[in-house]
Amino acid sequence: MKEYELFIGPQHPGITGNMMYHLWAEGDTVVKAECNVGYLHRGFEKLMESRLWMQNIPLVCRICVPEPDVNEAAYSMAVEQLMDWEVPERARYIRTIVLELARISAYLMAIGGYAGSIGIYTLPQWMTGDRDYILDIFEQLTGARVYHIYIWPGGVRWDMPDNLPGLIERTLNYIEKRLELYDDVLFRNRIFFDRAVGIGKIPKEKAIEWGVSGPNLRACGYGYDVRKLEPYAAYDEIDFDVVKYPELGKFEALSDGCDVYTRMIIRRLEIEQSIDIVRQALKKMPEGDILLKHPNWLRWKVPAGYAFARVESSKGEYGYFVVSDGGLKPVRVHVRGPSYTHGINVAERILKGANIADVSQILFSLDICPPDIER
Amino acid sequence: MKAIELLGKGEEMNGRAYVKIDKSELEEAIKTLKENGYNHFVMLSCIDWLDDGEFELVYHLWSYEEREHVMLSVRVARDGESMPSMHELFPQIETYEREIHEMYGIKFEGNPRLTPFFLEGWRDMPPMRKDFDSRKFTKDVFGNISTIEEEEDEGI
Repeated sequence: MKEYELFIGPQHPGITGNMMYHLWAEGDTVVKAECNVGYLHRGFEKLMESRLWMQNIPLVCRICVPEPDVNEAAYSMAVEQLMDWEVPERARYIRTIVLELARISAYLMAIGGYAGSIGIYTLPQWMTGDRDYILDIFEQLTGARVYHIYIWPGGVRWDMPDNLPGLIERTLNYIEKRLELYDDVLFRNRIFFDRAVGIGKIPKEKAIEWGVSGPNLRACGYGYDVRKLEPYAAYDEIDFDVVKYPELGKFEALSDGCDVYTRMIIRRLEIEQSIDIVRQALKKMPEGDILLKHPNWLRWKVPAGYAFARVESSKGEYGYFVVSDGGLKPVRVHVRGPSYTHGINVAERILKGANIADVSQILFSLDICPPDIER
Repeated sequence: MKAIELLGKGEEMNGRAYVKIDKSELEEAIKTLKENGYNHFVMLSCIDWLDDGEFELVYHLWSYEEREHVMLSVRVARDGESMPSMHELFPQIETYEREIHEMYGIKFEGNPRLTPFFLEGWRDMPPMRKDFDSRKFTKDVFGNISTIEEEEDEGI
C-alpha cells in the first residue's frame, strides 16, 4: 500500500499542547514519526542572561505551565548551591507542601487530558474543576493561581496563613473522595482496559539509555525517584515508598509494564502518595523563619561556579544548570525538561508501528509538555 | 567521587564531579562512564565564553547506583571549530546537538539531523551567542511599530 503523510497538531485536540507530529502511515499503521516544535519558543534562556538573579524567578515559572513550582524550586536550589545557603526548616516544609499540591494539580490535568484522548470526556471536565480547588489554596498562599513566584533562593516568599492547613486538609479530603469516582469512570472502565493495555511500549532495557524518567520510568519497573535519590526540600524526613511496576496496589498489573496502562495507573497512585506526603508535612512542619536574610537584590552577586539542581516533577526529572562568573547576572541557565527526551526521541521511536488512533493516547500517557522542550 | 577516580582527573564542584577533558578523549570518557553505571544522559549544555573566544560544551551524566552526577567539560574555539557527534552513545544527544547547532552554530560531525529545530527561516547569527544583540534584532525587525510611550504624546 502506498505510504501517506499526516500532520497531527498544533491545533489538533489530540495533541499535548502547541506542537506537531509529522506522521508517515501505511493504512492505519504509523511507519515513521517526526516531532516538530517551535510554536512556543520564547527565548527564556537568552532573556535570563540579561536579567538580575532575582528578576529571573518570575520568568522560570513560566517554563512549565501545568506545574510551574518545580522550576522555581530547581532554580532556587541551584542558586542556593552556588551561594552555599542552608534553607530554614519551616521553608523546606512549605516547599514540600507547595510542590506536592502542584504535583496533584498537574496529575489531574494529565489524567484528564488522557481520558479525553480515549473518548471519555467527563473526566477532563471534572478534573479541571477539581484542580481549581488546589488553585484556590495557591491563591490564598501566594496571591496567584497559576504562576506563583513563591519559592525564592533562601526560602519562600511569605509564611502560611493560619487558616491554610484547614483548607488544605478539606481539599485533600474532597479529592480523596473524588478519586473513587475517577476510578469508576476511567481506571476501572472497560474502555481503558481495551484501549491501553500493551500499547505504546518503551523497551525496558532501553528506558534508562533513552533518558526516560519520572512516572514513565517507574512504569518500566525501575524504582527511581529524585525525591529519594537526591532528597531536596523536606523529603528526607517524610516517610513514603516509591510507586513502581509491578506493585500497583489495588489495581491489577494487566500487562508486563512499560505501556500506556501502567503509566496512567502509576500517576493515579501517585496522587494518593502526594496527598499522604502533604498530610505528613503539615503535621511535622516546625515553627520558625521562612526566609534567610537577603542581600540587596539589585546589587546581589553570586559566586562563580557551576551548579546543577534536580527535582522530581510530575513529568519526570527536571534539572537546572546554572553558571555564574561572579556577576550580577547568570552567564547561562540551561533547563533540562523531561519532555525534551519523552516528546522527541522516545515518542518518535515508540510511535513507530502504532495505530493512528492510538497516537494521541500514547502522547498523553508520556505526559509531554511542549513549553519545557522549547523554553 | 567515583567518576573522578575512573577518569583520573577532575574536581568536586557543588556536590557534582566537574571534569575538564579534551575533545579527542570525549568519546572514550563517555564510554568508560557508561560502562560503569553512568547510564543516564541528563543533558548537553553549551556556554558561550565570549572573552575567551571559546564555547564550553558540558555533557551531564548521572549514575542511579552511585547517585552521582558528572559534568564533562569540553572547550571548542568559537570560530567554526567542529565537534564529533556522540549521538550513537545516547540517542537523545542527537536532539541536544541539533539545538546547539541552531542556537550557537557549532557543527557536529556525524549527526544526521542538523536540521532547523525551533527557528524557521532564520538568516541571522545563531541567537544564543553572546554577541547576538537581541535589542538591535528586535528594533530591525519590529522597529517601525511605535512604542506606547511615543504614542502617549498624541493622547491615547
